[in-house]
Amino acid sequence: MKRKIAAVAAIAATLLGAAACGSNSDDDAPTTSASGKVDGAGKTLKVWLMVDAQSAWKPVVDDASKRFTDATGAQVNVEYQQWANHLTKLDATLAGSDVPDVVELGNTEFPKYVFSGAFGAVNPGDYENSSSWLQGLKGACDFEGKTYCVPYYAGARVLIYRTDLFKAAGIAEAPKTYDEFLSDADKLQAASKSNAKFGAVYMPGQYWYAAMSWVKSTGGDIAKQEGDKWVGQLSQPSSIEGLQRWVDMAKKYSKADPTKNENDQANTFAQGTAAMFYGNAWEQGAAEEVKKDPNNPDSPMVPTKVKGKLAAAPMPEVPSFLGGSNLGITEKSQQKELAAQWIKAFTDSKSMAGLVKANALPNATSLLDQAATDNKTIAPAALAAKNSWFPPNAEKWADVEKSAVLQTMLTDILTGKKSVADGAKWADDQINSTLNES
Amino acid sequence: MSVVDSPATRRPRDPGGPQQNRVPGHAAPRRRKRNSGLVPWLLALPALLFIAGLLGYPLIRMLVLSFQNMRLRELISGRTPPWVGFDQYTRVLSDGVFWGVVGRTVAFTVVSVLISVVCGLGIALLMRRVSHGVRLFMIIAMMFVWALPQLVAAQIFRWMTDSDFGVVNYLIDLLPGVNYQNHSWFVNPWQGWSVITTLVVWAGIPFLAITLNAGLTQVPKELLEAATVDGATPWQSLRNIILPILKPLLMIVTTLSVIWNFGLFTQAWVLRDGHPEPQFQTLATYSYTQAFGQARYSLGSAIAVITVLLMFGVMVFYIRQMFRIGEVD
Repeated sequence: MKRKIAAVAAIAATLLGAAACGSNSDDDAPTTSASGKVDGAGKTLKVWLMVDAQSAWKPVVDDASKRFTDATGAQVNVEYQQWANHLTKLDATLAGSDVPDVVELGNTEFPKYVFSGAFGAVNPGDYENSSSWLQGLKGACDFEGKTYCVPYYAGARVLIYRTDLFKAAGIAEAPKTYDEFLSDADKLQAASKSNAKFGAVYMPGQYWYAAMSWVKSTGGDIAKQEGDKWVGQLSQPSSIEGLQRWVDMAKKYSKADPTKNENDQANTFAQGTAAMFYGNAWEQGAAEEVKKDPNNPDSPMVPTKVKGKLAAAPMPEVPSFLGGSNLGITEKSQQKELAAQWIKAFTDSKSMAGLVKANALPNATSLLDQAATDNKTIAPAALAAKNSWFPPNAEKWADVEKSAVLQTMLTDILTGKKSVADGAKWADDQINSTLNES
Repeated sequence: MSVVDSPATRRPRDPGGPQQNRVPGHAAPRRRKRNSGLVPWLLALPALLFIAGLLGYPLIRMLVLSFQNMRLRELISGRTPPWVGFDQYTRVLSDGVFWGVVGRTVAFTVVSVLISVVCGLGIALLMRRVSHGVRLFMIIAMMFVWALPQLVAAQIFRWMTDSDFGVVNYLIDLLPGVNYQNHSWFVNPWQGWSVITTLVVWAGIPFLAITLNAGLTQVPKELLEAATVDGATPWQSLRNIILPILKPLLMIVTTLSVIWNFGLFTQAWVLRDGHPEPQFQTLATYSYTQAFGQARYSLGSAIAVITVLLMFGVMVFYIRQMFRIGEVD
């Protein structure tokens, strides 16, 4: 008897397993449509957004969800994630069956998940402005002729500077050329000579988005695809030139910790020990005002030492890294059509206008000019976004980021532990072995 | 070997109940034999199941995983990862980076355990000499350190050594002729590891000092007095009386410290802000970054298995030592 039950159970398990495999096969994965009407009465959509949406543009999320609920009858449950651990959490969640339907990931994080079959294909034509989606965002969604995510918002990095210190040093306006940027830095440094903690530029050593922007400024590159292999390009002469340019600048003008990254730069800059930094447009606001209680999203804002003394301009002659996020529908989601409807509402022109108000860049080039006129704060960033770059669209690029290859190399060449050429060579070797790993 | 005998070791050898009941051969009725064998097992069953579920299952899963090649795709789809035999192990063992990490972890363990035990013993000896009130104060102070979660302590150390706003840089900078403004403690690996070691030793001393202090109360005063009368120096008393009595306890706390420090994770992780550079990777962080950072779950498992085996190599030595001490007693 017992044996019989066991046999039945085994057969049932096999069948269930086979069924599960069948539904997971990605050979003929259907594309989820966002057109037409979906009845979602009694259902709840689970959405994972990053914490920025909660702190900077929660009204946009609420408005899109409300319009979605009105149209479909389904409820939305938005959970906000932290950048520090969201991928580990996502991995663990995707391994189970109770998965979020919509997930936001950074654009450089997407390819790894798309290649691994975590997201379902979408039909770009269903979404507003999809014909002019920013290439830096959309590139991460493309795989074998299909699109696996929807661009959400972008951020381009700009030069943020202290107007009061510029004035005191006799500088009338933001630098227009890289040489001007350097001579301004000299003047600022001379004007604040008495302060031993002062550096004209705040440039943390492991800020690889900045360093790679400098690499791009001299025509260099991180890696490029040759056939079906990726080849690191950092030890090419044009890349070396850019790295050297960055190292010279950071060594001379920056007092920042060579082992820190850019995560805290706005807060550090707010202490008033630097005159310029290279950051996202919204970091200007983050430097001028902070939440009284950082753990409470509703706490009042308090001004910092640099409140009202900051302005932004495009970083002269340095192409901007185009960061940003995309939204994907998980492959395991049981309500893909509903998920597509929500993304559609959250990325339409109305939502994008809301994001622009909150100092984020919209997801399409067609919206950039309008954004620049609507919101003066992000005008420099909108300009910078037109001359932008993004990391190699390789399946394993996220692993390069995670293994801190570029960060380690930058600390090494900045502190003189390795020469620029040796550091670049080492980084190339690491990049080659990571990107081409089978 | 030991100067004192504990009453426990004098107990006559007890061959154990179940063995006595066992009748040689198959003369006894089968039923009765089975019952007497089954009851202890039944009683132990809940505990055994608990251990098997809590320790055994994950351990076996990890072992199995290390012979497969589980990546993100397999994790998400739930498909059985392909079997690759010893590939993960050959890959780990033939990787120079891995051996660098092993060397670093071992060096850190040796240095940090040595410093902790010596400091812990020193403080324990000091505690025997100070007045009652001071001793109480020391115990309470150390209890506070002990009670502090590792994560919190590490975060405090991170702020103290912060290059922009850290109090350590501020204080050193006050010394005349020293410029420590914006000094970064983690550029030079020696300095970085000094900070990590200081943190680990600082957090490890309370347990060692309090335990060893308890052990020291077992040293009979008469023996020390007799030794002094016979003209022994304090150093001789320490070497020939106190340390031999303390040896079993020292062995245990050293072993525990080795286990804890060998698995260093939180302190290095927090002080390096969640992205330890290659020169700050230990076996634990290395295995974690491989498995969870880079989605090489099988490779991470293989590293973890090797770590356990390496630890076991050290442990066997200590366990044997401990048994030997027990036999001499």
